[in-house]
Amino acid sequence: MMAPWFSDAAGIAALPVGLAFGAALERAGLGSARTIGDQLRGRDFTVVKVMFSAIVTAMLGVYWASTLGWLDLGRVSIPETDLLPQAIGGVLFGAGFAVASLCPGTACVSAGTGRKDGALAVLGLFIGTLVVGLGWSLLGPVAEHAPREGATLAGDLGLAPGWVVGGLTVAGALVITLTPRLEGRPAGRAPGVFAAAVLPLGLLAVVTKEGPAVAAHRLDRIAAEIASEQDHVDPLQLAEWLKAGQAGLRVIDVRDGVSAEAYQIPGSETVPLERLGELNVEPEDIVVLYSDGGTHAAQGWVLLRARGVPHVYVLRDGLAAWEDEVMTPSPPEHPDSASLARYRRARALSLWFGGRPSSTPRAPAGTTPTRRRNTC
Amino acid sequence: MSRETAESRGYADPVVVGVALGLVLFGVILLAGRGLGASGAFAASSASVVHLVAPAKLTPDSYLARWVPEHGLLGEWIVVEILGVILGGWASAVLAGRARLVTERAGESSDRGRLLAALTGGCLMGAGARLARGCTSGLGLTGGALLATGAWVFIPVAFGTAFLTAWVRRQRQSAP
Repeated sequence: MMAPWFSDAAGIAALPVGLAFGAALERAGLGSARTIGDQLRGRDFTVVKVMFSAIVTAMLGVYWASTLGWLDLGRVSIPETDLLPQAIGGVLFGAGFAVASLCPGTACVSAGTGRKDGALAVLGLFIGTLVVGLGWSLLGPVAEHAPREGATLAGDLGLAPGWVVGGLTVAGALVITLTPRLEGRPAGRAPGVFAAAVLPLGLLAVVTKEGPAVAAHRLDRIAAEIASEQDHVDPLQLAEWLKAGQAGLRVIDVRDGVSAEAYQIPGSETVPLERLGELNVEPEDIVVLYSDGGTHAAQGWVLLRARGVPHVYVLRDGLAAWEDEVMTPSPPEHPDSASLARYRRARALSLWFGGRPSSTPRAPAGTTPTRRRNTC
Repeated sequence: MSRETAESRGYADPVVVGVALGLVLFGVILLAGRGLGASGAFAASSASVVHLVAPAKLTPDSYLARWVPEHGLLGEWIVVEILGVILGGWASAVLAGRARLVTERAGESSDRGRLLAALTGGCLMGAGARLARGCTSGLGLTGGALLATGAWVFIPVAFGTAFLTAWVRRQRQSAP
């Protein structure tokens, strides 16, 4: 059966995986703040060596397993990309990493092996997480700017995945074989053996063409995206993107024969379905398609995804939903805190777009957003 | 003069451990379709604490509400994994005779200074990891291996800042 084998990642694997992870960090000396402190002084390259050899090993495993059709990457959760918060978070994290000489995982190992400093780093991690978690909504674009699910280097750089894998393998092998010189110590046999083992696998990745397994995987992945509704964008989310001037956002009206007077979402381009195949898309563009109800837009979505355009969304329920939820939002019929918060958000956006928010609930006609969630 | 490294202090060859760690990471991706992580456990546990002591703070659209575990803290994958990390680290240290209650300095001149640095650094990392959507494990290792764009921005930014911060701290420590 194609991996991942336990899609509902119930606790079965969590404990043994954690045990192995913790033991590995301890064995390398990474539960000792001194090791990381020495790395950041440039005296001991343990951290860099462990990280690079682990990343290259797992990367080659994942690449070859998915190329050979053993692993369905569409079902693997790939960390989200949101560059602005990640760059700012990276600066804060890096500063904290240098001050503590521990990272979150190694702080847990350090605390577990009796280091009092490790225990205090764990306490600090808890405090820092809590403070940012509670203040999240005040941080605006510093916390959430342009989140993209599953964005990868290959898609964003417009390179074949094999080239990225090959390039990183060569970089990793160089780092592993050259760092012992910086330490002024005899290297031992491990770096040479490592380079000899990974380089052929990495270079072979460069010459692999996208085989049938990968093509099939792409279709499976598109199907999985549809099933999990990752293909939709909510009208309020789109309104927020437009209002915030989201970089790379392109809103496309795919309706046929749109007359000049017809209402369109502000900033839309008009590209009828039959011309969508010719649309020029940059890898970083976020394309949102809409039609009256949504069927045509959904067809356009499959077309663009199959062309390999990475970030395409369909406006959920089309122009009709934009009209209901952004231009003329009405308060919830059975208010609770979630639906009221959504109404307040919609009201503010509506005023911004020159809409007419209503102050009385809409007559129930089976049109509340939650009930329509699965239609396109 | 040959410098001292973790390996020369009795720890294992970092490349051998790195490959083993990479195989664990590959294994968990095959098993569960997800990678390793650490900072997520802090998000889940701090959300649980807020849920317990001040549930009114957790409006459905708040950030921490996303992290409140549905089936209790021990039903959360990453929390169980991190408990495993602590246990695994402890067991490995006991077997090697390295588990002991001490404060381990990393260049600080006093134990008190070391503890304060660990606490301060922990706070900064906790905050940074939330913004970055992960830490060295969840974003660096896992995202790195899965070629996530965000990971390959985070790794150079975080390590670049870390080297720079360490340099500034050394200048200040060596100043009279």
